[in-house]
Amino acid sequence: MTKFYEGMAEIFEVEPEAITPEFDLTNANADWDSLAIVSTIALVDDCFNVTLDGESLAACKTIGDIEALVAKAGKE
Amino acid sequence: MTRYAKIADLAGYLPPKVLDNDELAALYPSWSADKIFEKTGIRTRHVAGEDETAGDLAFAAARALFARGTIAPEDVDFVILCTQAPDYILPTTACLLQDRLGISTSAGALDVNLGCSGFVYCLSLAKGLIESGSAKCVLVLTADTYSKYIHPLDKSVRTLFGDAAAATAVVACDAEQPQIGPFVFGTDGSGANNLIVEAGGARTPRSAETAVEQSDDSGNVRSRDNLYMAGAKIMAFSLSEVPRAAAALMDKSHTSTEAIDYFVLHQANRFMLEALRKKLKVSEAQFPIHVEECGNTVSSTIPLTLAAMRDNGCFDTEKKLMLIGFGVGYSWAACLLNF
Repeated sequence: MTKFYEGMAEIFEVEPEAITPEFDLTNANADWDSLAIVSTIALVDDCFNVTLDGESLAACKTIGDIEALVAKAGKE
Repeated sequence: MTRYAKIADLAGYLPPKVLDNDELAALYPSWSADKIFEKTGIRTRHVAGEDETAGDLAFAAARALFARGTIAPEDVDFVILCTQAPDYILPTTACLLQDRLGISTSAGALDVNLGCSGFVYCLSLAKGLIESGSAKCVLVLTADTYSKYIHPLDKSVRTLFGDAAAATAVVACDAEQPQIGPFVFGTDGSGANNLIVEAGGARTPRSAETAVEQSDDSGNVRSRDNLYMAGAKIMAFSLSEVPRAAAALMDKSHTSTEAIDYFVLHQANRFMLEALRKKLKVSEAQFPIHVEECGNTVSSTIPLTLAAMRDNGCFDTEKKLMLIGFGVGYSWAACLLNF
Protein backbone atom coordinates (compact mmCIF):
# COMPACT_ATOMS: atom_id res chain seq x y z
CA MET A 1 0.00 0.00 0.00
CA THR A 2 1.54 3.30 -1.04
CA LYS A 3 1.55 6.44 1.08
CA PHE A 4 -0.63 8.07 -1.58
CA TYR A 5 -3.33 5.38 -1.37
CA GLU A 6 -3.28 5.49 2.43
CA GLY A 7 -3.71 9.26 2.28
CA MET A 8 -6.61 8.99 -0.18
CA ALA A 9 -8.26 6.41 2.11
CA GLU A 10 -8.02 8.91 4.98
CA ILE A 11 -9.49 11.70 2.86
CA PHE A 12 -12.49 9.54 1.90
CA GLU A 13 -12.71 7.87 5.33
CA VAL A 14 -12.68 4.37 3.79
CA GLU A 15 -10.54 1.26 4.40
CA PRO A 16 -7.15 1.48 2.61
CA GLU A 17 -8.01 -1.68 0.61
CA ALA A 18 -10.91 0.18 -0.98
CA ILE A 19 -8.51 2.53 -2.81
CA THR A 20 -7.62 1.22 -6.27
CA PRO A 21 -7.06 3.01 -9.59
CA GLU A 22 -10.72 2.26 -10.38
CA PHE A 23 -12.02 3.86 -7.15
CA ASP A 24 -14.89 6.11 -8.20
CA LEU A 25 -14.45 9.63 -6.78
CA THR A 26 -17.98 10.57 -7.71
CA ASN A 27 -19.82 7.65 -6.10
CA ALA A 28 -22.21 8.22 -3.23
CA ASN A 29 -19.67 7.24 -0.55
CA ALA A 30 -16.89 9.49 -1.80
CA ASP A 31 -17.42 13.17 -1.15
CA TRP A 32 -15.22 14.70 -3.90
CA ASP A 33 -15.84 18.25 -2.64
CA SER A 34 -13.60 21.29 -2.30
CA LEU A 35 -12.17 20.05 1.00
CA ALA A 36 -11.26 16.66 -0.49
CA ILE A 37 -9.61 18.44 -3.42
CA VAL A 38 -7.60 20.74 -1.15
CA SER A 39 -6.57 17.70 0.92
CA THR A 40 -5.49 15.87 -2.23
CA ILE A 41 -3.35 18.81 -3.40
CA ALA A 42 -1.46 18.69 -0.08
CA LEU A 43 -1.17 14.88 -0.19
CA VAL A 44 0.16 14.81 -3.76
CA ASP A 45 2.60 17.59 -2.93
CA ASP A 46 3.86 15.57 0.05
CA CYS A 47 4.06 12.22 -1.83
CA PHE A 48 5.31 13.33 -5.24
CA ASN A 49 6.53 16.94 -4.80
CA VAL A 50 4.11 18.03 -7.50
CA THR A 51 1.48 20.78 -7.14
CA LEU A 52 -1.74 19.92 -8.96
CA ASP A 53 -4.25 22.45 -10.18
CA GLY A 54 -7.62 22.37 -8.38
CA GLU A 55 -9.71 22.56 -11.56
CA SER A 56 -7.93 19.60 -13.20
CA LEU A 57 -8.35 17.64 -9.97
CA ALA A 58 -12.05 18.48 -9.76
CA ALA A 59 -12.48 16.98 -13.24
CA CYS A 60 -10.98 13.61 -12.16
CA LYS A 61 -13.44 10.72 -11.96
CA THR A 62 -11.18 8.00 -10.50
CA ILE A 63 -7.99 7.58 -8.48
CA GLY A 64 -6.38 6.48 -11.77
CA ASP A 65 -7.22 9.89 -13.25
CA ILE A 66 -5.38 11.58 -10.36
CA GLU A 67 -2.37 9.31 -10.89
CA ALA A 68 -2.35 10.23 -14.58
CA LEU A 69 -2.40 13.94 -13.63
CA VAL A 70 0.54 13.40 -11.28
CA ALA A 71 2.49 11.55 -13.97
CA LYS A 72 1.80 14.32 -16.47
CA ALA A 73 2.73 17.11 -14.04
CA GLY A 74 5.92 15.25 -13.06
CA LYS A 75 7.09 15.33 -16.68
CA GLU A 76 6.51 19.04 -17.15
CA MET B 1 25.76 49.80 20.41
CA THR B 2 23.27 50.81 17.78
CA ARG B 3 19.64 51.84 17.89
CA TYR B 4 17.47 48.92 16.86
CA ALA B 5 13.75 48.14 17.01
CA LYS B 6 12.50 45.28 19.20
CA ILE B 7 9.18 43.85 20.32
CA ALA B 8 8.82 44.93 23.95
CA ASP B 9 5.46 43.30 24.68
CA LEU B 10 2.22 42.09 23.15
CA ALA B 11 -1.36 41.29 24.11
CA GLY B 12 -4.39 39.84 22.37
CA TYR B 13 -8.14 40.25 22.55
CA LEU B 14 -10.88 37.81 21.55
CA PRO B 15 -14.50 39.00 21.52
CA PRO B 16 -16.67 37.06 24.00
CA LYS B 17 -19.14 35.48 21.55
CA VAL B 18 -18.09 31.94 20.55
CA LEU B 19 -19.02 29.78 17.54
CA ASP B 20 -18.30 26.08 18.12
CA ASN B 21 -18.23 23.00 15.87
CA ASP B 22 -21.56 21.61 17.15
CA GLU B 23 -23.30 24.76 16.00
CA LEU B 24 -21.59 24.56 12.59
CA ALA B 25 -22.24 20.82 12.16
CA ALA B 26 -25.95 21.46 12.70
CA LEU B 27 -25.87 23.79 9.65
CA TYR B 28 -23.75 21.57 7.37
CA PRO B 29 -25.33 18.09 7.08
CA SER B 30 -22.29 16.43 5.46
CA TRP B 31 -19.82 17.54 8.18
CA SER B 32 -19.78 16.34 11.79
CA ALA B 33 -18.28 18.40 14.62
CA ASP B 34 -15.46 15.82 14.85
CA LYS B 35 -14.71 16.07 11.14
CA ILE B 36 -14.50 19.87 11.35
CA PHE B 37 -12.01 19.60 14.22
CA GLU B 38 -10.02 16.85 12.55
CA LYS B 39 -9.63 18.80 9.30
CA THR B 40 -9.08 22.29 10.69
CA GLY B 41 -7.69 21.79 14.21
CA ILE B 42 -10.22 24.41 15.31
CA ARG B 43 -12.77 23.84 18.11
CA THR B 44 -14.09 27.38 18.55
CA ARG B 45 -13.92 30.73 16.82
CA HIS B 46 -14.69 34.03 18.49
CA VAL B 47 -17.08 36.32 16.67
CA ALA B 48 -17.48 40.09 17.02
CA GLY B 49 -20.88 41.31 18.20
CA GLU B 50 -23.21 43.08 15.79
CA ASP B 51 -22.10 46.53 16.99
CA GLU B 52 -18.48 45.53 17.62
CA THR B 53 -16.02 46.68 14.92
CA ALA B 54 -12.40 45.81 14.20
CA GLY B 55 -11.63 49.25 15.69
CA ASP B 56 -13.33 48.14 18.93
CA LEU B 57 -11.33 44.90 19.00
CA ALA B 58 -8.08 46.81 18.39
CA PHE B 59 -9.03 49.23 21.17
CA ALA B 60 -9.55 46.33 23.60
CA ALA B 61 -6.25 44.70 22.59
CA ALA B 62 -4.38 48.00 23.08
CA ARG B 63 -5.98 48.42 26.54
CA ALA B 64 -4.91 44.88 27.41
CA LEU B 65 -1.36 45.74 26.32
CA PHE B 66 -1.29 48.96 28.40
CA ALA B 67 -2.67 47.03 31.39
CA ARG B 68 0.47 44.86 31.32
CA GLY B 69 2.45 47.98 32.22
CA THR B 70 5.33 47.71 29.73
CA ILE B 71 4.25 50.79 27.78
CA ALA B 72 1.68 53.52 28.47
CA PRO B 73 -0.46 55.49 25.98
CA GLU B 74 1.78 58.55 26.48
CA ASP B 75 4.85 56.56 25.31
CA VAL B 76 3.32 55.83 21.91
CA ASP B 77 4.49 58.11 19.09
CA PHE B 78 3.14 56.10 16.14
CA VAL B 79 0.05 53.89 15.65
CA ILE B 80 -0.20 51.35 12.83
CA LEU B 81 -3.50 49.49 12.47
CA CYS B 82 -3.67 46.53 10.11
CA THR B 83 -7.26 45.74 9.17
CA GLN B 84 -9.47 44.86 6.22
CA ALA B 85 -12.61 45.91 8.08
CA PRO B 86 -12.14 49.62 8.82
CA ASP B 87 -14.79 51.38 10.92
CA TYR B 88 -15.48 53.82 8.05
CA ILE B 89 -14.48 54.18 4.39
CA LEU B 90 -12.87 57.32 5.75
CA PRO B 91 -11.43 58.59 8.07
CA THR B 92 -8.59 56.19 8.93
CA THR B 93 -9.46 53.91 11.85
CA ALA B 94 -5.95 54.39 13.34
CA CYS B 95 -6.78 58.12 13.76
CA LEU B 96 -9.92 57.24 15.73
CA LEU B 97 -7.88 54.88 17.91
CA GLN B 98 -5.27 57.59 18.66
CA ASP B 99 -8.07 59.62 20.22
CA ARG B 100 -9.90 56.74 21.92
CA LEU B 101 -6.69 55.42 23.47
CA GLY B 102 -5.52 58.82 24.76
CA ILE B 103 -2.38 58.79 22.61
CA SER B 104 -0.62 62.13 22.04
CA THR B 105 -1.70 64.28 19.09
CA SER B 106 2.00 64.45 18.16
CA ALA B 107 1.84 60.74 17.21
CA GLY B 108 1.58 59.52 13.63
CA ALA B 109 -1.19 57.07 12.72
CA LEU B 110 -2.06 55.07 9.64
CA ASP B 111 -3.98 52.01 8.52
CA VAL B 112 -2.47 49.15 6.55
CA ASN B 113 -4.90 47.19 4.37
CA LEU B 114 -3.41 43.69 4.40
CA GLY B 115 -4.70 40.36 5.66
CA CYS B 116 -2.71 37.31 6.70
CA SER B 117 0.68 38.79 5.74
CA GLY B 118 -0.08 42.05 7.57
CA PHE B 119 1.67 41.55 10.90
CA VAL B 120 5.06 40.93 9.29
CA TYR B 121 4.60 43.97 7.03
CA CYS B 122 3.69 46.13 10.05
CA LEU B 123 6.85 44.96 11.85
CA SER B 124 8.90 46.07 8.85
CA LEU B 125 7.22 49.50 8.90
CA ALA B 126 7.71 49.85 12.68
CA LYS B 127 11.37 48.87 12.35
CA GLY B 128 11.84 51.44 9.58
CA LEU B 129 10.23 54.20 11.65
CA ILE B 130 12.34 53.39 14.71
CA GLU B 131 15.69 52.70 13.10
CA SER B 132 15.42 55.83 10.93
CA GLY B 133 14.92 57.87 14.11
CA SER B 134 11.34 58.86 13.18
CA ALA B 135 9.66 57.15 16.15
CA LYS B 136 10.57 55.54 19.48
CA CYS B 137 7.46 53.54 20.38
CA VAL B 138 5.21 52.14 17.68
CA LEU B 139 1.89 50.58 18.64
CA VAL B 140 1.18 47.88 16.05
CA LEU B 141 -2.48 46.88 16.11
CA THR B 142 -3.94 44.03 14.05
CA ALA B 143 -7.71 43.54 14.04
CA ASP B 144 -10.25 41.94 11.74
CA THR B 145 -13.87 40.89 11.69
CA TYR B 146 -14.09 38.58 8.68
CA SER B 147 -17.19 37.03 10.29
CA LYS B 148 -19.13 40.07 9.07
CA TYR B 149 -18.18 39.18 5.46
CA ILE B 150 -18.93 35.46 5.70
CA HIS B 151 -22.22 33.91 4.58
CA PRO B 152 -23.53 31.68 7.41
CA LEU B 153 -23.89 28.76 4.97
CA ASP B 154 -20.36 28.94 3.51
CA LYS B 155 -18.56 26.20 5.41
CA SER B 156 -15.38 26.64 3.33
CA VAL B 157 -14.62 29.83 5.27
CA ARG B 158 -16.95 29.89 8.27
CA THR B 159 -15.23 26.83 9.79
CA LEU B 160 -11.83 28.57 9.56
CA PHE B 161 -12.00 32.27 10.34
CA GLY B 162 -12.39 33.90 13.74
CA ASP B 163 -12.42 37.56 14.81
CA ALA B 164 -9.68 38.92 17.06
CA ALA B 165 -7.18 41.69 17.63
CA ALA B 166 -3.63 41.95 18.92
CA ALA B 167 -1.51 44.85 20.13
CA THR B 168 2.27 44.78 19.84
CA ALA B 169 4.68 47.36 21.27
CA VAL B 170 7.69 47.89 19.02
CA VAL B 171 10.24 50.13 20.75
CA ALA B 172 13.77 51.48 20.28
CA CYS B 173 16.61 49.76 22.13
CA ASP B 174 20.41 49.82 22.09
CA ALA B 175 21.78 46.47 20.95
CA GLU B 176 24.75 44.86 19.21
CA GLN B 177 22.55 43.12 16.62
CA PRO B 178 19.24 43.82 14.89
CA GLN B 179 16.36 42.30 16.90
CA ILE B 180 13.87 42.30 14.00
CA GLY B 181 14.83 41.37 10.43
CA PRO B 182 16.05 40.88 7.84
CA PHE B 183 12.85 40.68 5.81
CA VAL B 184 11.81 39.18 2.51
CA PHE B 185 8.57 40.24 0.81
CA GLY B 186 6.39 38.94 -1.98
CA THR B 187 3.30 40.01 -3.90
CA ASP B 188 1.32 38.40 -6.70
CA GLY B 189 -1.83 40.37 -7.47
CA SER B 190 -2.79 37.87 -10.17
CA GLY B 191 -4.23 35.81 -7.28
CA ALA B 192 -6.52 38.63 -6.12
CA ASN B 193 -9.76 36.91 -7.13
CA ASN B 194 -9.01 33.76 -5.12
CA LEU B 195 -9.56 35.38 -1.73
CA ILE B 196 -11.85 38.36 -2.07
CA VAL B 197 -14.88 40.31 -0.90
CA GLU B 198 -15.79 41.56 -4.34
CA ALA B 199 -18.59 44.04 -3.64
CA GLY B 200 -18.55 47.06 -1.36
CA GLY B 201 -15.54 48.96 -2.71
CA ALA B 202 -15.35 51.47 -5.57
CA ARG B 203 -14.93 48.83 -8.31
CA THR B 204 -18.15 46.99 -7.51
CA PRO B 205 -20.49 48.92 -5.20
CA ARG B 206 -22.99 46.79 -3.28
CA SER B 207 -26.34 46.46 -4.99
CA ALA B 208 -29.38 44.19 -5.14
CA GLU B 209 -27.49 42.32 -7.86
CA THR B 210 -24.32 41.72 -5.81
CA ALA B 211 -26.48 40.49 -2.91
CA VAL B 212 -27.93 37.60 -4.95
CA GLU B 213 -26.99 34.35 -3.21
CA GLN B 214 -25.68 31.35 -5.13
CA SER B 215 -24.79 27.80 -4.20
CA ASP B 216 -21.46 26.30 -5.40
CA ASP B 217 -20.56 22.68 -6.31
CA SER B 218 -19.76 21.87 -2.67
CA GLY B 219 -23.12 23.24 -1.44
CA ASN B 220 -21.68 26.47 -0.01
CA VAL B 221 -23.86 29.55 -0.28
CA ARG B 222 -22.55 33.08 -0.81
CA SER B 223 -23.16 36.34 -2.69
CA ARG B 224 -20.65 38.80 -4.15
CA ASP B 225 -21.03 40.81 -0.93
CA ASN B 226 -19.50 37.88 0.97
CA LEU B 227 -15.98 36.56 1.47
CA TYR B 228 -14.97 34.04 -1.19
CA MET B 229 -11.98 31.74 -0.91
CA ALA B 230 -10.82 29.39 -3.69
CA GLY B 231 -9.38 26.84 -1.26
CA ALA B 232 -7.48 24.75 -3.80
CA LYS B 233 -5.80 27.80 -5.31
CA ILE B 234 -4.85 29.16 -1.87
CA MET B 235 -3.39 25.78 -0.89
CA ALA B 236 -1.34 25.59 -4.10
CA PHE B 237 -0.13 29.19 -3.63
CA SER B 238 0.88 28.56 -0.01
CA LEU B 239 2.68 25.29 -0.76
CA SER B 240 4.72 26.96 -3.47
CA GLU B 241 5.47 30.43 -2.04
CA VAL B 242 5.91 29.82 1.72
CA PRO B 243 8.85 27.39 1.41
CA ARG B 244 10.39 29.69 -1.21
CA ALA B 245 10.10 32.70 1.14
CA ALA B 246 11.62 30.70 4.01
CA ALA B 247 14.53 29.62 1.80
CA ALA B 248 15.07 33.19 0.53
CA LEU B 249 15.17 34.51 4.11
CA MET B 250 17.62 31.82 5.26
CA ASP B 251 19.79 32.65 2.30
CA LYS B 252 19.61 36.39 2.96
CA SER B 253 20.39 36.00 6.66
CA HIS B 254 22.96 33.17 6.24
CA THR B 255 21.05 31.01 8.70
CA SER B 256 19.75 27.42 8.71
CA THR B 257 16.63 25.58 9.90
CA GLU B 258 18.56 24.25 12.91
CA ALA B 259 19.52 27.77 14.02
CA ILE B 260 15.85 28.81 14.29
CA ASP B 261 14.13 27.96 17.61
CA TYR B 262 10.59 28.48 16.34
CA PHE B 263 8.92 28.92 12.97
CA VAL B 264 5.80 30.98 13.68
CA LEU B 265 3.68 30.93 10.54
CA HIS B 266 0.39 32.62 9.86
CA GLN B 267 -2.06 30.23 11.54
CA ALA B 268 -4.33 29.46 8.57
CA ASN B 269 -5.58 26.10 9.91
CA ARG B 270 -3.90 22.97 11.24
CA PHE B 271 -4.22 21.07 7.99
CA MET B 272 -2.41 23.67 5.91
CA LEU B 273 0.20 24.22 8.64
CA GLU B 274 0.96 20.49 8.79
CA ALA B 275 1.42 20.41 5.01
CA LEU B 276 3.78 23.39 5.21
CA ARG B 277 5.68 21.94 8.18
CA LYS B 278 6.44 18.77 6.20
CA LYS B 279 7.50 20.81 3.21
CA LEU B 280 9.77 23.03 5.32
CA LYS B 281 11.21 19.91 7.02
CA VAL B 282 10.78 21.43 10.48
CA SER B 283 10.13 19.43 13.68
CA GLU B 284 6.80 19.70 15.52
CA ALA B 285 8.64 21.18 18.53
CA GLN B 286 9.87 24.09 16.37
CA PHE B 287 6.46 24.70 14.82
CA PRO B 288 3.73 26.06 17.12
CA ILE B 289 0.10 25.61 16.08
CA HIS B 290 -2.35 27.92 17.81
CA VAL B 291 -5.77 27.65 16.18
CA GLU B 292 -7.85 25.43 18.46
CA GLU B 293 -9.52 28.17 20.49
CA CYS B 294 -9.63 31.06 18.01
CA GLY B 295 -9.33 29.78 14.41
CA ASN B 296 -7.68 31.80 11.65
CA THR B 297 -7.71 35.40 12.90
CA VAL B 298 -6.08 36.86 9.76
CA SER B 299 -3.37 39.43 10.66
CA SER B 300 -3.61 38.63 14.38
CA THR B 301 -2.60 34.96 14.19
CA ILE B 302 1.15 35.54 14.58
CA PRO B 303 1.00 37.99 17.53
CA LEU B 304 -1.67 35.85 19.27
CA THR B 305 0.59 32.81 18.87
CA LEU B 306 3.58 34.76 20.21
CA ALA B 307 1.52 35.92 23.22
CA ALA B 308 0.38 32.34 23.96
CA MET B 309 3.98 31.06 23.65
CA ARG B 310 5.19 33.83 25.95
CA ASP B 311 2.52 32.85 28.52
CA ASN B 312 3.74 29.23 28.28
CA GLY B 313 7.31 30.28 29.06
CA CYS B 314 8.77 29.70 25.58
CA PHE B 315 10.60 33.04 25.73
CA ASP B 316 11.96 32.88 29.29
CA THR B 317 15.33 32.86 27.56
CA GLU B 318 15.78 34.76 24.28
CA LYS B 319 14.84 32.77 21.19
CA LYS B 320 15.39 33.18 17.47
CA LEU B 321 12.19 33.00 15.44
CA MET B 322 11.19 33.03 11.82
CA LEU B 323 7.80 34.66 11.17
CA ILE B 324 5.99 34.04 7.87
CA GLY B 325 2.72 35.72 6.90
CA PHE B 326 0.95 34.75 3.67
CA GLY B 327 -2.47 35.00 2.08
CA VAL B 328 -4.96 37.47 0.62
CA GLY B 329 -3.48 39.61 -2.16
CA TYR B 330 -1.61 37.38 -2.78
CA SER B 331 0.79 38.92 -0.32
CA TRP B 332 3.50 37.35 1.79
CA ALA B 333 6.46 38.33 3.96
CA ALA B 334 8.93 36.64 6.28
CA CYS B 335 11.38 37.95 8.87
CA LEU B 336 13.64 36.84 11.67
CA LEU B 337 12.91 37.99 15.20
CA ASN B 338 14.83 37.80 18.46
CA PHE B 339 12.30 37.61 21.26
